[in-house]
Parts: sequence; structure tokens; C-alpha cells
Amino acid sequence: MSILLKKALKLSIVPAVLMIAGKFIGVIALIIAYNLNFEVGNELNGIFSTQIFLADESSTLFVNSISDMAMLIILGIPTLYMIVRTTILQSATENPRTIAKVVKFNMLKWVTSSNSTFLQIFIWTSFLLISSVITISNSLQGDSYTWVGITGGVLTLLSIWGLIKTFEIETDKVYPNSNNHSYY
Amino acid sequence: MAPINKKRKFKEVFGKIIEPVALGLLALLFIIPTITVINLEPITKNLKEFTDILGVTTSNQVLVDLVGGTHEIVTSEKIYREENGSYIYNAKLTKRGADFYSKPILVLDNRSEEDKEISFSGGTLNPTRTEIGLIINDQTYRLQRSTGESYTVDILLRPQTKYEVYLTVESAVGIQFSEDFEMKIAAE
Repeated sequence: MSILLKKALKLSIVPAVLMIAGKFIGVIALIIAYNLNFEVGNELNGIFSTQIFLADESSTLFVNSISDMAMLIILGIPTLYMIVRTTILQSATENPRTIAKVVKFNMLKWVTSSNSTFLQIFIWTSFLLISSVITISNSLQGDSYTWVGITGGVLTLLSIWGLIKTFEIETDKVYPNSNNHSYY
Repeated sequence: MAPINKKRKFKEVFGKIIEPVALGLLALLFIIPTITVINLEPITKNLKEFTDILGVTTSNQVLVDLVGGTHEIVTSEKIYREENGSYIYNAKLTKRGADFYSKPILVLDNRSEEDKEISFSGGTLNPTRTEIGLIINDQTYRLQRSTGESYTVDILLRPQTKYEVYLTVESAVGIQFSEDFEMKIAAE
């Protein structure tokens, strides 16, 4: 088995678990916090037929929206953190002004090494993308607030932009940008 | 030297065999959370505590429940109760070919000891050369003509009976867009 596949499997477990946990904890926490009347049934004929039923439409809309938001935040924050850290680290190695800024904000320790690889950022972004697609589709169908769908869209755009940036950084390591050097 | 080579060869062969399985596992790691999250989305339904008020002589003794499930053209089904006790059923009729479609949508349950008159009214916003009707207890009823003209369907629900309501959609031509369907269910 290839190392890449092994690593991809290892790295996918945490975001997969967090995605389910974010939605599930969001739903359960809201039901408990607002003391909502709910029922768990299995009346649908799907792959997983178990469903959570709520008594009225406004509660359903509220619980669905906020739990979608919780899922997006749980996946979005670590993804953006990894992207920002990798980008700052790379910028710091190339640009002395960035190092000066990093020192000024006392963040030198934070960016001295990057534990995030492109594969890790790619996997986390993929999960964030899936979550955003679900959230946007819910918003379009009227099952979730519009602002949740918009937030999902913005987060996805930001993380895709970050992913491309990280990809550029990685390719620059293999094929250094010729414009920055005077080899010729 | 030979056992080491054998071990290495076994590892290589095993690695090649396990690779497709690992790829499947990786795909499952993406698919399972997606399905689970979709499935965790709550659905509005008339809960027992909400509507089950046996012994009170009002129209609320008729329970109207969503059947649910998946269908080719009837999607995003919702039902909610209004303050006056009537129910509103909403669904999206997706784009479809010229054909006849039907789906069980509701279960009517008269838990009272008296006859209940149930009326259904509604349809789509725009006429799309689609006949919309209901099938209740093997009887067909017209709810909306292909020209867009709507009718009110009245049925009598016997005491302690349960009927399944089917929505029928018959399109004379292929419809290339989704449309919203809304139906009001009132019990007297």
C-alpha cells in the first residue's frame, strides 16, 4: 500500500469524525438547551432510515441552521488555521518584512515549523467543501437560514483559495519560481 | 536471506491486494459522514405529544402524518399545523417527463368516535398542463386540472379509521423546471 494512501486514510479520520460530531452535537445541544419536543423514528426508506423529528417548522429550521453552522465552524477553523500558518511560514522564509511583523506580534514560535502538509489541508478542505455543499443546498431548499448558506459559501471560497496558495507553495519547493532567482 | 526475501515479497503482494480495499475505505470515509449528516437533519412531523389529544371533542382528533420516503419527482415534503388546526402540506415537484406519477404522502387517522369531514385544497402556482389529484381509499379525486383550475376535495373519515393519501401527478408534456405544490388539509 502506498504511503500517500496510508497517510490519506490516517488524515481523513479526524475531519470525518468531527463533521458528524459537529452536526450531531449541534442538534442535540439545541434540543436540550431549548427544551424542544423531539422524537427519533425510522419511517423513511433510505440507507439510514433513522430520523430526528421536531414538532414545528420554525424549530426544525432553527436547529438545522445552527447545527449546520456548528459543523462548518468545527471544520472551518482548523482548515483556515492550517492554511494561514503554512502561508505565513512560507512568507516568513521568503520575505524579511513578514519575519519582522511576526516578531512584532510575538508569533515567531507559532510559525517556526509547519506540521500541516498539503495533503492534510486538501483533505480538510474537501470535508469543508462537502459540508458547505450540504449547507448551501439546505439554504436553497428553505431548510436552513440564508446567512448560513452564505457563510458556507464564503468559507469554501476562502479555503479553496488557501488550498491553491498552499499548492503553489508546495510546487515552489519542487520547482522554485524562476522569477525570484537569477540562475540564468 | 531467503526468508527475508519471502517476507518482503509477501508484503509487496499483500500491499497490492489491500490497496483497492484502502481506496474503498478512503471513499467510505468521505461518503459515510456525508450521508450521516444529511440523515441527521431534523424533519418536521406531528409528534404524538403535539397532536395526540384523545378525548377532546375537537377537529384535532384527526391526525395527519407525513409518510416521507424518497420519490422520483415529489421531493422536499413538509407538513405543519396552523393555529386554526388545519394542516399545510408542501412539496416540490421536480422536472419530469410526460407520464403519470403517484406517491403516498399522508396518513389520516381519525381517532375520535365520530365521523370527520376532511377537505383538501391546493395545487401548484402556475398551470403546467399537469393534472394533480389524490387517491384515498381506492377513490380518485381531482385537485387541480391541467389548465390550473383548482378543486376542493371533501371526504368522510369514519371513526377509528386510518387512510393513506396518495398524490397523483399526470403531465401531458415534459416539464423542465421544479414547481412548488401546496395543499391545505382541514378537518371538521
